[in-house]
Amino acid sequence: MDAYFVAILTIAGIYVILALALNLQFGLTGLVNFGVVGFFGLGAYASGITTESFHAPFLGGLAVAMATGAIAGALLALMCLRLSGDFLAIVTLGFAETIRLIFNNEDWLTGGPKGLLIMTRPVFADLGRAANAWMVLGVVLLGVALTLALMLRLAGTPYGRVLRAIREDELVPATLGKDVFVYRLQSFVIGSMLMAGAGSLYAHYVQTITPDNFTTPVAILVWMSVIVGGPGNTVGAVVGALAVVTIYEGSRFLSPWLGFLDAEQVSALRFVVIGTALILVIRFRPEGLLPEPRHRPVVPATSRPALKG
Amino acid sequence: MQMLVNALATAAILAPAAVAFTLIFTLFRYANFAAGGFVTVGAFAAWTLNAPLGLPLWAGGVGAMGVCAGAVALSDRVVFRPLRGRGGGTLLLVSIALSFVIENIIRFGYGAQVKGFDLPLTGPLVFAGLRVPKETLAVIAISLVATLAVGALLAFTPIGRAVRAVADNPSLANVRGLPVPGVEAFGVIVAGALFGLSGTLVGVDLAIDPNLNWAIAIPVIAAAIVGGLGSPLGAAIGAIVIGLAEELTAAYFTPTYKGAVGFVVIALVLLLRPQGLLGLKVDRK
Repeated sequence: MDAYFVAILTIAGIYVILALALNLQFGLTGLVNFGVVGFFGLGAYASGITTESFHAPFLGGLAVAMATGAIAGALLALMCLRLSGDFLAIVTLGFAETIRLIFNNEDWLTGGPKGLLIMTRPVFADLGRAANAWMVLGVVLLGVALTLALMLRLAGTPYGRVLRAIREDELVPATLGKDVFVYRLQSFVIGSMLMAGAGSLYAHYVQTITPDNFTTPVAILVWMSVIVGGPGNTVGAVVGALAVVTIYEGSRFLSPWLGFLDAEQVSALRFVVIGTALILVIRFRPEGLLPEPRHRPVVPATSRPALKG
Repeated sequence: MQMLVNALATAAILAPAAVAFTLIFTLFRYANFAAGGFVTVGAFAAWTLNAPLGLPLWAGGVGAMGVCAGAVALSDRVVFRPLRGRGGGTLLLVSIALSFVIENIIRFGYGAQVKGFDLPLTGPLVFAGLRVPKETLAVIAISLVATLAVGALLAFTPIGRAVRAVADNPSLANVRGLPVPGVEAFGVIVAGALFGLSGTLVGVDLAIDPNLNWAIAIPVIAAAIVGGLGSPLGAAIGAIVIGLAEELTAAYFTPTYKGAVGFVVIALVLLLRPQGLLGLKVDRK
């Protein structure tokens, strides 16, 4: 039970990072990125290949993963950020599917459908299974803490306010002389970089990655986290990710009562429930569990009429 | 030449769904990503009527069109109508969630096994060294007739004119006395029937399994975007472009990357001609 708890926490931490990254892109800036799982997978494979084929340490793999994610994000963003949300959604969705085709078919690089075995772990020495698991959890939680600190800082600064303004009505910040395109690009690239970083953590945690680890359900879970938590609310994204992972993992324990269904059906049923819940939340509580705090403008002290003369 | 036949076969599968996607987009101004889900529903409905129930395939196809029209109308009523006016991004997100739900309902009911229609084996027709399976010929002919019929319906009939008027400006159409909800319902049902037709045609040419969903959604949406969102004729031409691009990829590059063609074509269109081949600039919310 202890080991299971550590495993769930580790996975939850990775989902929290993904949700925070998507919250920056969608929650704050309003960018509809359906390629979450593409960047996540790209980071995982980039990191795995760097440490296994080039014998880099874990930190090297993480750095390469984040750089790869940032470059891929920048290329996609340059291609379609000028256009509206619909196009960004289809392009990012297509990106995720294409990336998965590459994982599946370029056996020389990725190991193909058999997967990539990763021996490098973010631990100091082999101290036994339990200690290693705790250490990996520590590394993931450190990643969560850093990401959360960055996001809380970003959301509170004037920079974050410009992103929110772009989400609400891009004409307003443009009129104030903000280069809307550059802000969107930055938001998208930072988010993609963090997603790839989460992918790297995931790869070195599970140690065997296959293209099947990076399919649409992962993206749906991350979207669910952001929507349920409250788009635009950084703490909400964390709460949302924890809630979604708890429900998703917790529903495993229902299997004994669903003995009349086979494994395929149980898995399908879970996804039906998750998808339906997502639609219901969007319809009935679009602001999520923790609504985005309203920004209260500072009312200037009673303004004195300017003296004439 | 053989490649052209294959390309037309692919285009024939994509065209009805691409026209349906574009029809929904012009009527309601959102990209319905559940297109792939509805095509999968059509494929499974046709299969159910054909293989376990033993009806001929044409009856299965007609049934699939009916089932899909019902499914699309139901989804519009239950899921999309309450959210109208919420902005394109929200509706798009909901349509992806819906697609995911549909895919898994099908997986729940039918399992993940690949299915195929119960069709008699026939030899291909051979003209001048060109081998054309009879089924492929039928797929191309049916798709062509259906697409032209819908195009003519929209272009020349009073109800088609009404659909275009509502798509253009619903409040103006309302002021002019058009029954807007009825016209919208008609458009939704036509779109649903087209999804069902695509689903049946997919089943003739490819295997039927729940994973069809995303595999078909991207080329369908790509065809609609290439043709220029909002233009049914453009969507049909877009389907031919996608079909050709897929065949060229398979022939000169590698068949394993056929699935990436839709994405690459969309990327190229966005870079070179964002309004699509036949599209005008569309106002979006």
